[in-house]
Amino acid sequence: MKKVIYLIVALLILIQFIPANLPDVSSDNPDDILKNNSDIPQIVQTILKNSCYDCHSNETHYPWYSFVVPVSFLVGSDIKNGRNEFNFSNWEDYKKTEKAEILDRISEAVSEAKMPMKIYTLLHRDAVLSDDEKKILITWSDEFAESLFE
Amino acid sequence: MNINNVYFCSRKLSQIKRIMKNLIIVVALSAISLWLLSSAKIENKLVISDSNNDISFEIPSNVQVIIDKSCYACHNPESSSVKGKMKLNFVKLPDMKVSKQISKLMKISKVIRNGKMPKEKYIKKHPEKRLTNDEAVALSSWASDLAGKLAGE
Repeated sequence: MKKVIYLIVALLILIQFIPANLPDVSSDNPDDILKNNSDIPQIVQTILKNSCYDCHSNETHYPWYSFVVPVSFLVGSDIKNGRNEFNFSNWEDYKKTEKAEILDRISEAVSEAKMPMKIYTLLHRDAVLSDDEKKILITWSDEFAESLFE
Repeated sequence: MNINNVYFCSRKLSQIKRIMKNLIIVVALSAISLWLLSSAKIENKLVISDSNNDISFEIPSNVQVIIDKSCYACHNPESSSVKGKMKLNFVKLPDMKVSKQISKLMKISKVIRNGKMPKEKYIKKHPEKRLTNDEAVALSSWASDLAGKLAGE
């Protein structure tokens, strides 16, 4: 039994030498949505930063376990997927049609409680959205989308 | 009962029979026309002009045919598909805000291009509803073009 435990521990240590390959972080994002739309209400800005930005922007915060293989693979893939879906840091690069579509998807995903992901909020309790916060976010994304075409 | 009364009665009877027959025909015709009207699909061209720009929400007849064939069954307000009518309702579409119209059109274009719609399960049950390549191209390019026009791009 002891031998098996030693083996597992040795394996876990060994696999740490596999590069984590986590997506890059950048705080210099001139096309960021919040940098270019100062009239977005403060409460919305806070919600976006606390509950969405880790996966949907370049401003990801990596807790210590993100660097531990194999957790790093899951974290890395979630962030890559999130940024691929849409990236708030590149907001001003999107066409108006793309912005409308993203905002509608945000509205839908939040109201169906598909976002933020459960696995994320399990480990980030401050990212959990209350019912009020959900309403605020959904209302904002719909109104913001409308304002693009006025 | 004398013969005159019998004659009078039988005449009245055939009159009543005739009236009944006519009434039944009228009722049947009305019922058929009502049924036809209620099952009529949305018009070929829904023209709602937008107050913000000059682009109106139009569905050309060749696209309408495709929508009627493969999409409308699930994406109408009376659909038995709860999710279908919630996600996209072609009857409501012309009345939605421009931003929502654009996002719905963008989504239509995407799901048609990546083959996610119509759903495989649905096509297995109704193989004649499968979109041909040409139909898929026509539908997805109409949707993305209109989205762009509505956005003023």
